[in-house]
Amino acid sequence: MDAHQLIVCRCEEVSLAELMETAEAYPCSARELKLRTRAGMGCCGGRTCRVLVDQVIEKVTGQTPSHSVPLGYQPPVRPLSFQLMGGRNK
Amino acid sequence: MIDALIIGAGPAGLSAAIACAKQDLSVVVIDEFYRAGGRLLGQLHQEPDGTWWNGIEEALRLDREARALGVDIRCGVSVYDVSRTPGGWNVSTTAGKMETPLLLIATGASETAVPVPGWTLPGVMSIGAAQVMTNVQRVRVGERGVVIGVNILSVAIARELQLAGIQIDRMILPPASSITGNAGLPEEVMRALLRVAHLAPSPLLRWGSRFMHSHWMQSLAVRLYPSRGFPMWDIPIQLRTAALEIVGKAQVEGVRIAQITPDGQPIFGTEQLIPADFVCIAGGLSPLAELAAIAGCPFAYVPSLGGHVPIHNDQMQTALPGLFVAGNITGVESAKVAMAQGKVAGLSMAHARGALTDLSPLTDAIRDVKAVRQRATIQFHPDIDDGRALVEKLALAP
Repeated sequence: MDAHQLIVCRCEEVSLAELMETAEAYPCSARELKLRTRAGMGCCGGRTCRVLVDQVIEKVTGQTPSHSVPLGYQPPVRPLSFQLMGGRNK
Repeated sequence: MIDALIIGAGPAGLSAAIACAKQDLSVVVIDEFYRAGGRLLGQLHQEPDGTWWNGIEEALRLDREARALGVDIRCGVSVYDVSRTPGGWNVSTTAGKMETPLLLIATGASETAVPVPGWTLPGVMSIGAAQVMTNVQRVRVGERGVVIGVNILSVAIARELQLAGIQIDRMILPPASSITGNAGLPEEVMRALLRVAHLAPSPLLRWGSRFMHSHWMQSLAVRLYPSRGFPMWDIPIQLRTAALEIVGKAQVEGVRIAQITPDGQPIFGTEQLIPADFVCIAGGLSPLAELAAIAGCPFAYVPSLGGHVPIHNDQMQTALPGLFVAGNITGVESAKVAMAQGKVAGLSMAHARGALTDLSPLTDAIRDVKAVRQRATIQFHPDIDDGRALVEKLALAP
């Protein structure tokens, strides 16, 4: 399979190849891989690719998942309107 | 002031609401879908005894019972944050903030993605999305589809699509890659499928069950597996075929496939292009634990339960005061187990509010969860009991 064409994070358009190359160049945590590539940092908040980013790290570094959740969660866990965050309608 | 807030109006959340409303607690249930029922809404299958499990009817029954007991069910409301207060929990929702002394997180599970080249084309959807469109929204997802990913959930949903008159051309594996794990390996898929042999009268399973006895024989079964596959409810299940790419200009037009070796590698010269106007990707389920993580719950990584689950005891209490969990957030199992767990959580919350003087209903409900699990027709994983035992042990650890 041509890894370059395979998009893993749709929101930020990060390919599998980019994730694999980054994980190989910087043996790092899932969080660092996320920050380096922006995978999981788009508008969906990583709801689709979070597990895949974890799996890339598992595959490349051989780290097995621990009991703590690898990629942390921060509120808000759903996309919100500015209005809800205190904006006003005209 | 309410006594309990429940996030998720699925089988666990509604059962919990009913159990605590029966003990005179004031309960609010919120759910981000526009109608109550959660994953029940998509379920339609025949049990081995011949009876049908109709999830929509089950959801209506729970919804009516809860409302009759005075439960306030609010649909179309999303929770985006939870935080602790001195007296309980503050919950931020798209309909404003709410305070509650007791909080139950019953958010269920979410589908795991399996990337396949071309999966961003319109017409590609998760198998769960196809299930909701078919059974809840009654929208035809397409004329002729291919399912990528063979597991217990995708086989059950393919059958539902077929019952709705939608043609599933075949079910095949995803391309083996660094992030498809066991889903792209014929031998692993075969082993998982044979565990549910009792669910479908199918030549595949009659044939495969002869190879159940040893690892060596299972490898042999995969090597002998016919390339045209075996039908299950007339849907060809092709464990020795993988999708290489989903193709199309502006939407799905077909899938490029190839036969694969027992370890998932494409066999040169076997490539072909099959027409399809929709593709369902099935990667299985994992617990949807984002709110429990934000709340600060300690977690356990338990593959047999579907991944990371919030640590909880047999009364469905987490390590945090006033915070409970129930249903698939605690491990991927059938809706019946989720209902039984919901009842336990509801009675536990009633106990925490001092409304349950006699503890025997709670003890009975805890026993019932185990009994329901034993009887479950759909066992998502062979090691569920071990996984559950591990979580309970961690909950008892200081």
